[in-house]
Amino acid sequence: MKRRASARNALLWLVVIVALIVTLFPFYWMLNTSFKPASEIFASPPTFLSSHWTLDAYATILSQRPVGRYFLNSLIVSLGATALSVLLAALAAYGFTRFFEGAATAFIVLLLFTKMLPETLLIIPYFRLMSELGLLNTHLALILAYSSFALPFSVWMLIGFFRSIPLEIDEAATIDGASVWQTFFRVILPLARPGLVAVALFTFLIAWNSYVWALVLTTDSSMYVLSVGIANMVGEYRVQWNELMAAAVIATLPVMALYALLERHLVNAITAGAVKG
Amino acid sequence: MKILHRALVLSMAMAVPAFAQQPIVLQWQTANLTESQYEPIWKRTIAEFEAANPGIRIEPVLVARKDHWTKFVAAAQARQAPCIVTVDLTTAAYNGYLLPLDKYWNAEPAAFRNAWSKDILASARWKGELYGLPIWGGTYGEIYNRDMVVKAGLDPAKPPKTIDEYVAWGRKLTGTDHWALAVLGGKTDTTTRVLLTWIWANGGEAFNKDMTEATFAKDPKSLAAIKLYLGFAGKNGIAAPAPTTTNYLEQTNLFAQNKIATMRNAYWSVAKVVGDNPALKGRMFATPIPANVPNAPTLANVAASSISSSCKYPDAAWKFIKFDAGRKWQVERAVIANWMPLRNDVANDPAITADPMLAAFVRMGEHARSYPLPHPAWADIAANDIVDAVQKALLSPEKTDEIFRDLDVRVTRKLRDL
Amino acid sequence: MAASRPSRARPFARRRLYGYAFVAPVVVFLCAIVVFPLGHAFWTSLLRVRGLRSTFVGFDNYVHVLSDDAFWHSLVISLAFTSIAVSLHMVLGLALALVLDTLKSARTALRIAFLSPWMVAPAVGATIWLWLLEPQFGVVNYLLRATGIVDAPIAWLGEQLLAFASIVAVDVWRGVPFVMLLMLAGLQTVPPEQYEAAAMDGASTWQRFRYVTWPNLRYLLIVATTLDVINTVRHYDIVGVMTAGGPAEATQVLPVLLYNTAFRGNRFGEAAAIGVLLLAIVLALSTFYIRVTRIGRDEVAR
Repeated sequence: MKRRASARNALLWLVVIVALIVTLFPFYWMLNTSFKPASEIFASPPTFLSSHWTLDAYATILSQRPVGRYFLNSLIVSLGATALSVLLAALAAYGFTRFFEGAATAFIVLLLFTKMLPETLLIIPYFRLMSELGLLNTHLALILAYSSFALPFSVWMLIGFFRSIPLEIDEAATIDGASVWQTFFRVILPLARPGLVAVALFTFLIAWNSYVWALVLTTDSSMYVLSVGIANMVGEYRVQWNELMAAAVIATLPVMALYALLERHLVNAITAGAVKG
Repeated sequence: MKILHRALVLSMAMAVPAFAQQPIVLQWQTANLTESQYEPIWKRTIAEFEAANPGIRIEPVLVARKDHWTKFVAAAQARQAPCIVTVDLTTAAYNGYLLPLDKYWNAEPAAFRNAWSKDILASARWKGELYGLPIWGGTYGEIYNRDMVVKAGLDPAKPPKTIDEYVAWGRKLTGTDHWALAVLGGKTDTTTRVLLTWIWANGGEAFNKDMTEATFAKDPKSLAAIKLYLGFAGKNGIAAPAPTTTNYLEQTNLFAQNKIATMRNAYWSVAKVVGDNPALKGRMFATPIPANVPNAPTLANVAASSISSSCKYPDAAWKFIKFDAGRKWQVERAVIANWMPLRNDVANDPAITADPMLAAFVRMGEHARSYPLPHPAWADIAANDIVDAVQKALLSPEKTDEIFRDLDVRVTRKLRDL
Repeated sequence: MAASRPSRARPFARRRLYGYAFVAPVVVFLCAIVVFPLGHAFWTSLLRVRGLRSTFVGFDNYVHVLSDDAFWHSLVISLAFTSIAVSLHMVLGLALALVLDTLKSARTALRIAFLSPWMVAPAVGATIWLWLLEPQFGVVNYLLRATGIVDAPIAWLGEQLLAFASIVAVDVWRGVPFVMLLMLAGLQTVPPEQYEAAAMDGASTWQRFRYVTWPNLRYLLIVATTLDVINTVRHYDIVGVMTAGGPAEATQVLPVLLYNTAFRGNRFGEAAAIGVLLLAIVLALSTFYIRVTRIGRDEVAR
């Protein structure tokens, strides 16, 4: 029995290692290329572990453009979208599960419906909308846009989550004299923290990685987010792969770090929220 | 009383500049602002213009080339487009995104206007109205890697003049892991540009005179040229593999890495190649495109500065465009960024004559047709339909005739569907 | 399902007003930020747009689009791409989750590692793969040639079938992590008593999966598949970055056709029509799928 188990384990580990290689090799190559000097990019055979590793590409990028500014913009917009998304979704989820239970599923379906149109179609109307609202070139425009993208999944997740919190808790709080608002804020929300974290991470990811919306809705380069600022470093007539990869590293590292830190919450949250829906 | 009067006048005089100090902000968007060769130049252009025009500020809008049109259109649709733009002129004019410039142009002194030839200006006109001032261009020629040519036993002093001579050179320039040229079949409009040069070099025409009919297959010389050019690809051909994913970028990469010996491209590609591989500096030479007919036209990509129709300060915008079109900047762009000047009064500028390759390209420009071709649907046709046909023909060479006949039908329909 | 609620908490029901207050922000937000662009897109599909001029043409655009070969071709490509990619997402995602669940060590590190493709923006990931698959200078071709598997560089994105396969492969790389995450979460909810019961009955690994794991995951699988289909069918970035629909339209999925029609062809009315048709297709697919599986769900519901 034990031998079968360990043989099976070995096989499983083999599968994992193969899958790991396929999954992670592109990242390794991204890092590898980003550290190469320009003359080595097209070397034949390509170098896997260069002896000429240099930070040239990073230096060029960081000096050519105000990457710090882009980073800050990305951060503001992503955090703003996260806050808005969590707030709206939590309010909506609570409202539906406590007061309009029958309409909850229908609402989720409606939200899903709004996501079925391809992004390209929405670019121009969004621009017009933000233009009319006088929000062009502001952080708020992007915050609003990104929150709207994250809503369907966030609401679905939190509705599932709130459903798993028994009504008895609400009633107990009411009996203790809490108002509806206090019940929501002081009692239920803390219980829903894993779900909120999941929604926050998810929204942050969408906001941080989004490109097309920031491209269209901002014109002032001081408002550019990281993804746009980096894309601008790519001219069609001149693409340095090492610089491009360095830019990709800079853009991806923050999200990776965030997820590594909060990963535990993510699985718990999805477990409790999405699965029981 | 007099003191009060004086004080009033003085304070008003001080107030006026205070009001005038609200600078006009003009946004400037052209895809080239993100090209690293050009950056030092445009920064100085803006700085000097602002110094000479204190009430006007120029705000560059940096956009990645592939997203340039998308961003412009999204803004134009909401009437918020940047004031100064360089875009596909005919398409933009047709769609109402640009301001006609005749009133500004005609108000300029003859000395200024004469610097542009009629043909060059015609490329910026739509339905008789001027929609842009041609600023720079790229003439397509044949660029050779001198060392690879010599290595193949060929004489750089006697480059091919006809297509047959070129093919003979091509066979010698092809060996293991290196080829004579790259056939451009990627999904961008550079594929179309190079294809047109082959058609024209053979004396063929892809369109009729007033752009109402496509004749890729209808014109036998055109079809013959297409088959010859696309036939270079393939297992035992003289072209590098993977043509359907070869765009400008891949072509220059191949050339910079000594994988192909010739490159049909504009002068700006030389700067890129040298940037990638400094060892190639001075090791290249350029000739007019080999042609089977005398004085065959080559292709010159013309970029013009335009004013968007939603611009609130067109007068100021025109000021900047004029400034940017001045001799000084044309020469600088030519020398530093390798972009061809379009004024006819810079050809003898010492900075230009000092660079033999630049001078060669300027001469080639005398027999050039401007690109994009003047039709509102050109962007669509060039980047979608023609490219699709090229790709299909590269993947199924035996069907080339049929593919280009279908292309004729499709494109003719689009040309007429305005 | 969560706890049933026979007594609809009478004190709460009376304060229905509060319910509106909670739900109002989202509804207002939706109306302002989402409904307007959607409506605009629908309305545009009924117009013939030429730059700043537009004329009402009713269903002309739909007729035009539906009678164009390009649309049907793109539809076929989209359906093929979506069905293959989503199937692979589900199968591989579930498999990975099962494997990770079985192995008890290094869980967190492995989870983070396997999640990484999801964290990178699709366009960035596609760019990295573009560099990996470069025919002359890319490392994938180099490795294949160095190990003798092939002797000439492969044009991964240069031939129709290969390009399609490459797109699917990159999308699988991108899409599996999220499914794996959902499945991992789902596996946590399988009651251990059921596994114990199965072990006591002497069930084999396969039987354990079939009779314990699978029924518990069914609902989640349905939801995950629906979400995945919606996301995959409207996905633009990977194809846009890597092939732009080529070669010879072999990878021209509907979102790419839409983008090309809108921003290269400058025919926004037609592009909007394509978008609405795409939406209708997705809606039909999702409804059909949910209908079919709801029957199953009711069986399983306790």
